[in-house]
Amino acid sequence: MANSVSDSDPPNPRRQVSFFRSKHAGDGTSVRKPILVMEEVYKYFRRDVPTLRNINLVIERGEFVFVTGPSGSGKSTLLQLIYRQHPVDSGRILFSGRDISRLTDRSIPFLRRNLGIVFQDFKVVPHWTVFENTAVSLEILGTNARLVRSRVAATLERVGLAGRGNERTENLSGGEQQRVAIARAIVTEPALLLADEPTGNLDPQLAIDILTLFEEIHAAGTTVVFATHDHSLLQSAPHRLVVLDEGRVIEATHGLRAWAARSEPRTASNG
Amino acid sequence: MDIRFVFARAKRGFRDDLSLHVVAIASLVVAFLCLGTALLGVENLTRIADRWSHSQHLTLYLRDDARETEVAQLRLVLESLGEVRKVEHITSEAARKLFAEQTHMGNSMSDLPTEAFPASLEIELRPEAASDRVNKLTERLRRFSAVEDVENYRSFLGQFRGLLDTGRSAALLLSLLVMVCVVAVIGNTIRLAVASRRREIEVLKLCGATDSFVRSPFVLEGVIQAVSAASIAVVILLAGYLFAHQHIETTLSALTGVGMTFLSPWTIAVTLVAAGVVGALGSAWSLRRYLQV
Repeated sequence: MANSVSDSDPPNPRRQVSFFRSKHAGDGTSVRKPILVMEEVYKYFRRDVPTLRNINLVIERGEFVFVTGPSGSGKSTLLQLIYRQHPVDSGRILFSGRDISRLTDRSIPFLRRNLGIVFQDFKVVPHWTVFENTAVSLEILGTNARLVRSRVAATLERVGLAGRGNERTENLSGGEQQRVAIARAIVTEPALLLADEPTGNLDPQLAIDILTLFEEIHAAGTTVVFATHDHSLLQSAPHRLVVLDEGRVIEATHGLRAWAARSEPRTASNG
Repeated sequence: MDIRFVFARAKRGFRDDLSLHVVAIASLVVAFLCLGTALLGVENLTRIADRWSHSQHLTLYLRDDARETEVAQLRLVLESLGEVRKVEHITSEAARKLFAEQTHMGNSMSDLPTEAFPASLEIELRPEAASDRVNKLTERLRRFSAVEDVENYRSFLGQFRGLLDTGRSAALLLSLLVMVCVVAVIGNTIRLAVASRRREIEVLKLCGATDSFVRSPFVLEGVIQAVSAASIAVVILLAGYLFAHQHIETTLSALTGVGMTFLSPWTIAVTLVAAGVVGALGSAWSLRRYLQV
């Protein structure tokens, strides 16, 4: 059962929300556990070719992790398994110590309330206002209207859209629409922020701006998993790197340079 | 789930698909008007049947050649009977005049022959008079030489009740058809609304909305559509009723003995509630397959 945000909730960005029914409630030790653990995860969309194979990954609380790799390497699928767009075919995924790979359909919404998700195509509702697009996450939690107004205002200020709540989202530029999507993702102060190629539709300068915004969100305590294949972004920020290739994690290391150093000779020999 | 958000989102839905909802409501108004007209007819016919079945009245038509002494003797006999409360002699001229007054036909009746309005004795029976006693009295009165015919309205009432039962069956069938129509119109409208708000549903589900959260504003929209259409139909029907009441009420009450009435508050309340329930069911039914994101 999900908690709802109320007036009395402390403004704690690391607040945990239970997404299981009460009989599966945690033992209170989840705060000490890694926020995400993937163990021998496989996902097949075609019977003979796994899209993801034997993924083993641990993401600690407060980390900023880049997931990268060429197109088709499985970056989006990896994130989709976390927010349960698809179930895993084998292995398990622990979120705050709880196995989400076996969640029932009815429990999936309560998992997603603990996550913020940002997409390449923004997924904002174009005819809604900026306020409506941002407030929707809080409305789902049943937050009262006064608190919704104050939190949305604070979040819009945080993403650089202060005072623009009444504008229709379709009238904004691509970069601004992505900021609306980010505002919607962080307004509930989720435990984990997933970004699936969030700069894919933006020009390089806007991409850097958006990455900077994610880093600010991370600096405030949110765990961020950022999928991208944009090397310029990877080079501009020294965060942990998870490299996927043909559905396998081929590197899970800190910094682009180590990965680049290992991948370049291979790329050269391939070329 | 906060009901205010459900209303806010339903309002947003109406705002976004206004023309779609207006067309749907207009279609439903026509359906509810048909149903309301049928119910109005059945309710008034039922009142007429009830009035006639409870009226303890005999009309004794006199022969044209009946003498005054015979009529006077007949009156004496009738007034001595325990079942009879009042006897009134209506002459042929009085009957013509009375009909002209009640129907406002005036000079247009001058062409009608004298025998169109036979003289009669109008007999009012006591309310406690048993039906079989009335039948026996009718038979006895027919044997008097001055009597042409006796009308106790029983056979006519039987035919009228048969007609009324047919009307009720037709109204029931019409109600079912209207409900099917409501489900179909609302179902299709909501399906179109879901298609045009696909992105919205996707966003809601990715933000952690449950199916019931996604579904509830659409269901509310269905309820509002059906109840609005039914309310508009009632208002139009009332306007039509008031117009008809002004023009045909006198004639109708002269012919039937019962004034026209509008649908009872109970019938209106049941119709509105049924419309709301069917609207909710129609939209919920149409949403079943469209929530997968």
